[in-house]
Amino acid sequence: MSVRDKFLRLLTVAASSAAIAAVASSAVIAQDSPINQLTPVTDEMLLNPPDGDWLMWRRTYNGWGYSPLDQINKDNVGDLRLAWAWSMTPGRTQETPLVHDGIIFIQNADHVIQALNAATGDLIWEYEYDLPDDAPVRGVRNKAIYGDTLIIATRDAHLLAIDTKTGKLVWDKQVANYEHGFGFSSGPIVANGVIVQGATGCSKAQPGGCFFTGHDPNTGAELWRVNTIARGDTPEGNSWNGVPLASRHGASAWIAGSYDPEQNLIFAGVGQPYPWNMEIAGLRPASSDPNVTNDALYTNSTLAIDATSGELKWYWQYLPTDGLDLDYAYERLLIDLPVNGEMRQQVVTTGKIGIIESLDRTTGEWLWAVETAPQNIVLSWDPKTGKKEINPETIPIAGETTFNCPADPGAKAWQATAYSPRTEALYLPTVEFCSNTTVNPLDPGEIYTGGGRQTYSRVPMPDGDGNIGQVRAINLNDLSEMWQYRQRAPVTSSTLPTGGGLVFVGTLDRKFMAFDDETGEVLWTSGKLSNSLESFPITYEAGGKQYVAITANFASGLGRLASLTPEVKLPSNNPITLYVFALPD
Amino acid sequence: MPVAFAFPRLASPLLALALAVPVAALSPGPVSAEEPEFYDVPYAPGQWNFGRRLDESQLRYCVDRRDPDWEVAAAIADAIAQGLLLEPQRYVVERKFVIEDITKVYAIMLEHCDIHMGFKLIPGGYSNWATLTRSYYEAQYVFVTADPDIHALADVAPARPIGATMGTSAHIRLVSYLTALPAEDRWPTYPMGTNDRALEALLNGTVDVALVWAPNLWAKQRQDPAYAGLHVIDPSPLPPTTLGVGALLLANETFLRTAVDQAIAALSEDGTIAGILEKSGFPAAVKP
Repeated sequence: MSVRDKFLRLLTVAASSAAIAAVASSAVIAQDSPINQLTPVTDEMLLNPPDGDWLMWRRTYNGWGYSPLDQINKDNVGDLRLAWAWSMTPGRTQETPLVHDGIIFIQNADHVIQALNAATGDLIWEYEYDLPDDAPVRGVRNKAIYGDTLIIATRDAHLLAIDTKTGKLVWDKQVANYEHGFGFSSGPIVANGVIVQGATGCSKAQPGGCFFTGHDPNTGAELWRVNTIARGDTPEGNSWNGVPLASRHGASAWIAGSYDPEQNLIFAGVGQPYPWNMEIAGLRPASSDPNVTNDALYTNSTLAIDATSGELKWYWQYLPTDGLDLDYAYERLLIDLPVNGEMRQQVVTTGKIGIIESLDRTTGEWLWAVETAPQNIVLSWDPKTGKKEINPETIPIAGETTFNCPADPGAKAWQATAYSPRTEALYLPTVEFCSNTTVNPLDPGEIYTGGGRQTYSRVPMPDGDGNIGQVRAINLNDLSEMWQYRQRAPVTSSTLPTGGGLVFVGTLDRKFMAFDDETGEVLWTSGKLSNSLESFPITYEAGGKQYVAITANFASGLGRLASLTPEVKLPSNNPITLYVFALPD
Repeated sequence: MPVAFAFPRLASPLLALALAVPVAALSPGPVSAEEPEFYDVPYAPGQWNFGRRLDESQLRYCVDRRDPDWEVAAAIADAIAQGLLLEPQRYVVERKFVIEDITKVYAIMLEHCDIHMGFKLIPGGYSNWATLTRSYYEAQYVFVTADPDIHALADVAPARPIGATMGTSAHIRLVSYLTALPAEDRWPTYPMGTNDRALEALLNGTVDVALVWAPNLWAKQRQDPAYAGLHVIDPSPLPPTTLGVGALLLANETFLRTAVDQAIAALSEDGTIAGILEKSGFPAAVKP
């Protein structure tokens, strides 16, 4: 942190301290502060969260991102009003607040952690993590809550436990060396008493890939580690085109997983190999050794990991030899529905290509796939095995420009899909666009080697209608599209279906919207908020009243498509604000 | 050293004044606030707090201790500043990250420097927020081996692996060449994350040949006797890969860039830069 930043921070802390003191002193008198009623979060609560709480990234272990709350519903959502707002510190973030017993917990980009009264927005406590001066000032997508502690992941690859009542640090565990590129952009889940965390940033600075780790919630001690790049003389280890471990890069674990308590299995995704271009990554030209493939396991795979032991039970790779930065790293939803008349326990995910795919989560068997946004990368897939035929014309080659739809950041990006048991539908935020792609050298400076391994010159979809953003509702019983909403600006937040028959979503052009979950009719649109909405909306209950919350911020994800909608103007100082909406009293 | 001797072309007080005053007045300009940050438009904490500085008599430059040429680059930057009748103000970047995204330079430049030394000139290699000066030297990527019997790349048997610093222009050229060969004639090529890793792989026997940036080999051989036995081989059948190295500026620094370009041209022509390179035995050449 620079001297200037430290000075500004001191001013902020001084102001905050005064506020805290004021809150604390009044709290002594006001015995009804919700922090006094805060209860420990038990394993049972995590298995069956109270309807009014939001206790983990996607609210429940199955990753649905669904809330049963129905006080706000189709009949009254039109009356939704701003209840309160809270300005967060600058820096990119993709925040998912947590809520327990009327307290909302947030993590700012500069790693100030705050507890607010979820009904009023009043600050209760804050904790400032001393992020190193040279670490990226960015938020982390999610956090966990367990017992009396909030479990926080940091951008410099630490895990923290913070007392939920006092905001005091309980323990601090360094998991990896951030100077070698490691960091956390998403936080953990707690499964069967184990903190499970994925690492990202496994690029040129550190060969060997990333990892998932399991940690003791009482001390932070590491219990197990699963490497995301296969190694050893095994079929998986020999899937890197014959290059040694010292030349294998990528496979970031940058999105939190889901958890099946019956099997005690974590289901989590792994990203693509680095650099994106396969020639540069050493994956092409393909080796002539018959014992070697260039699939690059476990990139773009689902890993099924035993939460207690860290044993990798099985994996399934969706997109081998990915040269286009088309991760299959995102949320995994655990859904039980019939397939061909037989009830199957499924794990469902959607990669950047926008193809929804399902596996049997007890065996790893591939079950089905359905295409959503238009794409030209996958020509077909085997209906029995799921093996894809890739369009060779879309594979980037040095010295050529290729055309692919979509490109990085994907038809479906990190913004999570959500599933509603009311409609048995998956709600996807998608975007339609293409790219002219060229391979870049990586050598501008000795240390500063360029962010783009390939240049994606993003262009509108040929013959498109000019609408880049969509919300799609896919019926997971028959894989049909129930409805589709289209608009010019990208849809940039995750989706939030509720028991009130609503689906909430945010957009690049600063709107927060509510749809009828069955018809797609727009039932409510907020006024223009302070920034684009690139985050994870939640809903919760405090004092018997339902609230809906979303962070307005520009987080670079789908905002990268802002170049396709130059008419959408956003504030240059990237303000970040937590907005909370409710019905009038 | 008198400025007139260091930079004869600017010895004319009128010309020097004509350049120095606008350079100072325009450097550094405020950050453009016309568009939101994109993925390739960097973000720096508190970036809107940086405005025009008051110490207008200085040329603030950055060198990075992680660069093998940082001391050479600092000497060249000092000469550029003196040629522009500006006081050189050196900032040595002391970060420990092995590799960083180029957008990190943005924050460093906002706070510390007008020009950042040590960036290779690659057409289309930079985002719109950055621009580069002309090159103050040119250097090569070199094939290196510890095997005394290998004198040219053509001498290397197809089965023997090459460790290439990953994604460089030379690596891409090598891979493109290999792709055109029959599979049995290809050298296995292992991408290495950094020049240091490629050279380490050579020492530990993982590879038989390394493809690295010549200044890195130069620095390694000065620092560690273990690398003394390595020698550069003829790149044929590939042509040599040569890149110019210049300084990076924020794109709105158009006048400063022109002035620095003129200074580099003059310092190249009068032998100043060549003298700096020669003094260190630095493996680079000045392009007139």
